[in-house]
Amino acid sequence: MSKNGYLQIHDPLKPKGHAVGIDLGTTNSLVAAVSQGKPRCVPVDDGDALLLPSVVHYGKDGGVVVGARARPLAAAHPTDTIASVKRFMGRSPDDAETRKLGHYDFVPGGKVVRFNVAGGNPVTPIEVSGEILRALKRRAEAHFSGKVEQAVITVPAYFDDAQRQATKDAGRLAGLEVLRLLNEPTAAALAYGLDKGSQGTFAVYDLGGGTFDISILKLVDGVFEVKSTGGDSALGGDDFDRAIAQRVLEALGETSPAPSLVAEVLAASRKAKEALTDAPEVSLRAGGREHPVKRSDFDAWIQPLVQKTGLVCRRAMKDAGVAAGELDGVILVGGATRVPAVRRYVAELFGREPLGDIDPDQVVALGAAVQADLLTNADRQDEVLLLDVIPLSLGLETMGGITEKLIQRNSTIPTAAAQVFTTFKDGQTGLDVHVVQGERELVDDNRSLARFTLSGIPPLAAGMARVEVRFQVDADGILSVSAKEQSTGATQSITVKPSHGLTEEEIERMLLDSIDYAEDDIQARQVREQRVDAERVLAEADRQLREHGALLQAGEKETIDAAMARVREVAQGQDHLKMKEMLHALDEASRPFIERVMNQAITQVVAGHSVEEY
Amino acid sequence: MRTHFDVFGLARAYDVDVPALEKQYRELSLQHHPDRVAPGDAKERLKALEGTTALNEAFKTLKDPVRRAFYLLKLHGVDLEREDAGAQKDMPLEFLEEVMELREALDAAMAKKDLARAQAMGTQVGTQRKAALDEAAGALRHLEAAGTPGEEAAAQVRKASHALGRVRYFTRFLEQVDAFEEESLS
Repeated sequence: MSKNGYLQIHDPLKPKGHAVGIDLGTTNSLVAAVSQGKPRCVPVDDGDALLLPSVVHYGKDGGVVVGARARPLAAAHPTDTIASVKRFMGRSPDDAETRKLGHYDFVPGGKVVRFNVAGGNPVTPIEVSGEILRALKRRAEAHFSGKVEQAVITVPAYFDDAQRQATKDAGRLAGLEVLRLLNEPTAAALAYGLDKGSQGTFAVYDLGGGTFDISILKLVDGVFEVKSTGGDSALGGDDFDRAIAQRVLEALGETSPAPSLVAEVLAASRKAKEALTDAPEVSLRAGGREHPVKRSDFDAWIQPLVQKTGLVCRRAMKDAGVAAGELDGVILVGGATRVPAVRRYVAELFGREPLGDIDPDQVVALGAAVQADLLTNADRQDEVLLLDVIPLSLGLETMGGITEKLIQRNSTIPTAAAQVFTTFKDGQTGLDVHVVQGERELVDDNRSLARFTLSGIPPLAAGMARVEVRFQVDADGILSVSAKEQSTGATQSITVKPSHGLTEEEIERMLLDSIDYAEDDIQARQVREQRVDAERVLAEADRQLREHGALLQAGEKETIDAAMARVREVAQGQDHLKMKEMLHALDEASRPFIERVMNQAITQVVAGHSVEEY
Repeated sequence: MRTHFDVFGLARAYDVDVPALEKQYRELSLQHHPDRVAPGDAKERLKALEGTTALNEAFKTLKDPVRRAFYLLKLHGVDLEREDAGAQKDMPLEFLEEVMELREALDAAMAKKDLARAQAMGTQVGTQRKAALDEAAGALRHLEAAGTPGEEAAAQVRKASHALGRVRYFTRFLEQVDAFEEESLS
């Protein structure tokens, strides 16, 4: 039963519910959906911005602020305002990432990173990401005036199992059914590939704020096959900012600068980097002085960083068995690919001018929307199928801390591998298994995914019991393990949870907590809900007025506009009953107009039928 | 047992028409991939997951002449991919000596950071690897031809297994050259 009547009735020509694509980025996040056959980004922040800054602020009152409004709060509340949370997804508290320059208050110990924040318990990166996803979901719902419950969420191709699992859990916390975790370069190729109806082999060069990814893909007969992927999870546009900042700090004679100065210089450096895309020389103001920066100097400073990407690209081409000359196109993704030196380097590396006609900030979200549409829209099922790969090899620890690879990187998923273990002691009933991910020979240099003990092995002489362990990687790139004792045929299925992830119980508790919290504060929740409703109804009214203005009668627009203004006014306040009342008034005021709109839509449907039938 | 050839409805043979295999792989993927199954249908999805996993494994093996050769040999009872494979001990002594010398030469080049020397060795070993694979392919073609008598078949299996043993050594050598190349360039 709809609370607000006419303005919430679905357009009969529009499908129910929307499956969206979400680019959950380090710096910004976006949500897009396909409508009328084309993917489009949805406004998600103030002033109809398409980019939602990935910043979450936790207030003393327990309230959460996400996006552009959260960003300025970082200065006064550095530990309560989390930016770039993606860097911490699936990481442990002793990971190098937590020791980089930053302003957070980490909870020591445990197996998952936790931030101490105002207004309640410490939060994990999964919960923080969950807040970003929830904000995107709500704002998309307001835009569509309808439910959004299914999403394709993108991840860097180079994300390991723990990071993927964490992203999926964040989606669940936000109340989203995660249709698929999609690799970001693959998403970008999907956005291009379908737009142009092309066939051929493409390279996607994705240089974001904090990570670099390269993928080689082949599109033939509607099958998008990822041939190889590679990357560097600690190389991005932020490093370009640091390259400038370092010189500025040197010029200022600062050997151990205060954090506030570092922040100032970094922010000014970022602006300078962006300005250098169009200007050959800029002046950067920091530390009370002007610092001229020439583009040629900047190019030289970042040259070693840019060259690092070339090495990864060459390896990916080799893995794919493709030479640069055989490529049909090179696609640029990520804000850092706007840097002219990067574009030049890419053109030289691949021997061709890269494609950049889709906004590099939006292209990943647009591709994700395409995949969401492909997965949910039965009419499109025969168009395109995506075959992705596992980015990093999966292996087991063997004697002496050596990694034995079981599934090679760049294997098409879903994929599986089996390994037979034998007991080495008489009467042995348990077997320790350590699963790792990465390319290095020593276990300690790779990422530890899971440790578990196979139990229930029948006590036999050493070497007699044979246990087959099977590793299955699904289409999201997520691993599950099952084991079978071959002499007795006893099967055991194990759900492998990453060593640095959350258990199922912890996720369940978080889901419950978020419900409990809402019930603690019914009043605040009602205000929030009414406000969301108001936003949604206002957006819908705007759309109807814009699209069907011709159906308005004399004086009607003025009445509706006045009612809308009253809704806007009360939506600023805290009185949810007043909001409800004004929404009802708006509904009444616009009812005759909306009825005309509906009638017209229905007439069109009927008319459409008659053409077909007669 | 369902072989990788069965997955594609092909007769067992060393020679495979790879472009035709790729086309068939795409068609089978379009039919059976988990993405083609409604999200709610757990049983169908599991079936699709298992079917596509087998399809991917079969495709990976058959499209690549080296993997295909190792797989065919395995179907003849010799699994060179197993760590405890007897084939390693079974290799002729002079070959093992040759490998030792190559390794030492590569180690020396690496110690001197002599990339050009390592690359030249890589090219040479690449040629040897190709020749060994051709030899294995010859034996496997012979084996798959109908009516090979038991004793001769055993001799051909041995021949293929020795040749592929060499391919394995050469491949590892080339991997080491690659790793050195990457290290020198970074």
